[in-house]
Amino acid sequence: MAAIPAMSAQTISPGEMQLLLSRSGLILNPGQVADLVLAWRQVEGLIASIPHDRPLADDMALTFRLPTPSPLATPARPATKAKAKLPVQVKAKPKAKVKAKSAKRRAVVSPPRKGTRRGR
Amino acid sequence: MTARTVPLLTIAEAGRLIATKKLSPVELVKEHLARIEAIDPQLNSFLLVNERHALTAARAAERAVMAGRSTPLLGIPVAYKDIYETAGMRTTAQSRILADNVPERDAETVRRLAAEGAVAIGKLATHEFAIGGPAFDLPWPPARNPWDTRRYTGGSSSGSGAAVAAGLTLGALGSDTGGSIRLPAAYCGIAGIKPTPGLVSRRGVIPLAPSLDTAGPMAWTAMDCAILLDALAGPDPLDPASVPGPKVSYAAAAVAPIRGMRVGVLRRFYEHDVPASPEMLQMMNRTIATFRSLGCRVEDASLPSVQEYNAVGRVIISAEAYALHEATLKKRLADYSRVFRVRVLAGALIRAADYIAAQRRRGDLIAATARAFERFDVLITAPTAGTPPLLTEQRPDDGFSRPLLTTVANVAAVPSMVVCGGFTPAGLPLGLEIIGPAWGDATVLRFGHHFEQAAGTRIRRPEL
Repeated sequence: MAAIPAMSAQTISPGEMQLLLSRSGLILNPGQVADLVLAWRQVEGLIASIPHDRPLADDMALTFRLPTPSPLATPARPATKAKAKLPVQVKAKPKAKVKAKSAKRRAVVSPPRKGTRRGR
Repeated sequence: MTARTVPLLTIAEAGRLIATKKLSPVELVKEHLARIEAIDPQLNSFLLVNERHALTAARAAERAVMAGRSTPLLGIPVAYKDIYETAGMRTTAQSRILADNVPERDAETVRRLAAEGAVAIGKLATHEFAIGGPAFDLPWPPARNPWDTRRYTGGSSSGSGAAVAAGLTLGALGSDTGGSIRLPAAYCGIAGIKPTPGLVSRRGVIPLAPSLDTAGPMAWTAMDCAILLDALAGPDPLDPASVPGPKVSYAAAAVAPIRGMRVGVLRRFYEHDVPASPEMLQMMNRTIATFRSLGCRVEDASLPSVQEYNAVGRVIISAEAYALHEATLKKRLADYSRVFRVRVLAGALIRAADYIAAQRRRGDLIAATARAFERFDVLITAPTAGTPPLLTEQRPDDGFSRPLLTTVANVAAVPSMVVCGGFTPAGLPLGLEIIGPAWGDATVLRFGHHFEQAAGTRIRRPEL
């Protein structure tokens, strides 16, 4: 039951980031590296907060089996008295404000255009 | 938008009217298409509206009604987050990477809703690949909140939340890896459920992080979510994570009384871990009073901190999302949005040992959460710190720097839903999150339904 020491959060420099990136195969411009440094500092802290010093024999498998579904878990008896509201009276929505059919609204299977949908 | 018009019906109401031949599916769909045309330019909730397909399906539904067929979803307009594959209909994940992607097959969930007679009217906005958003450097603008169009919808099922709240569709499907169904439900004032993992097939839904991804319904009410879940739930032999869940009618179960049931309040979550606004604290106090008035026993409950669940969830999401996108990132990095790059590229640097440590810790958190349900039937919390923030306040690194209350249920592998808990004096919605034990989806829906009925939060609609 040996334990593995926990990690500690460290702050990565842009130079160290470039070193790590060289192994990942990613080619980033300086702005993208700066973004990644900021994001990685956050992720590094999250990783450091997760315990790493667990007993070696702690896990038999990295799978999580949920309890078997049981009828008790989902009481499905409908209440005899409870009834949903009756449907409201339907009024047709006035169409005056709605424009007539437009080619803009037709379904398209086509590439999007910048800032537009449906060709708008 | 004060008068009730056809598009502002619920699924339950419209289904009853269609079944009794008082409402034509063709007229219902036409009303929604017209409403989309009139209102959606303010919201950007639809990426694509498929009018021809929708009207064809609506006519088929009308013929089926006249022939005596009746199902709760027959003729009901629905729309899909644009990560659901739809045969012959463009599926982009709101990304340049898939801008021309037209799938050959429907996602299993899309197929199931169509088999029940639901009418697909289009595809809805999402954060890029369900994580990169809101982004302003993509070909499509981000969705806007119908309660105040300057504000954020929540994400990543952003279009689903906005379109349902605005009455542009009666139901929508979203996906939830860290809160992506429940955050838009909270900020847009609707209902949405992240089911127990394995209950709803994810086949044909573009993945983000397969360990945590779930697909689920979003609608105006908890009852409507239950009706949709009745059609969606069930084993899919071609989804390796699919599990034969309990055989239950979720819609029938939702109306069963909750008197005498036990509600645990995760008070530390929203008072300490992610401190809530005064308005949200008041809403939670009103919620507790509402459940007591319904005959529930309400006590404080405790789980590990929100930060612990989030650390595990964020490391898993970053590592898995990067692994899925690595090959494309190396070829087309500049085609992704900046938000996507910030949130996913860090996954390139996560060591296997750190990823496995997160998965092992997840096992502890699943067990700790399950123990809480020995004392309680459901747990409740605020799903957000407060009202929807302004779109311009969103930061690319939000996913790492601000823990999400909703991620708890993803990491814990339990069902969780958000319903509208109330409104601020300024008229902005506040969500309420209800978490159940694994396979307790029906119980969660039941609490959601009774809360909505008792609190009366389903009367008000956005004014657009």
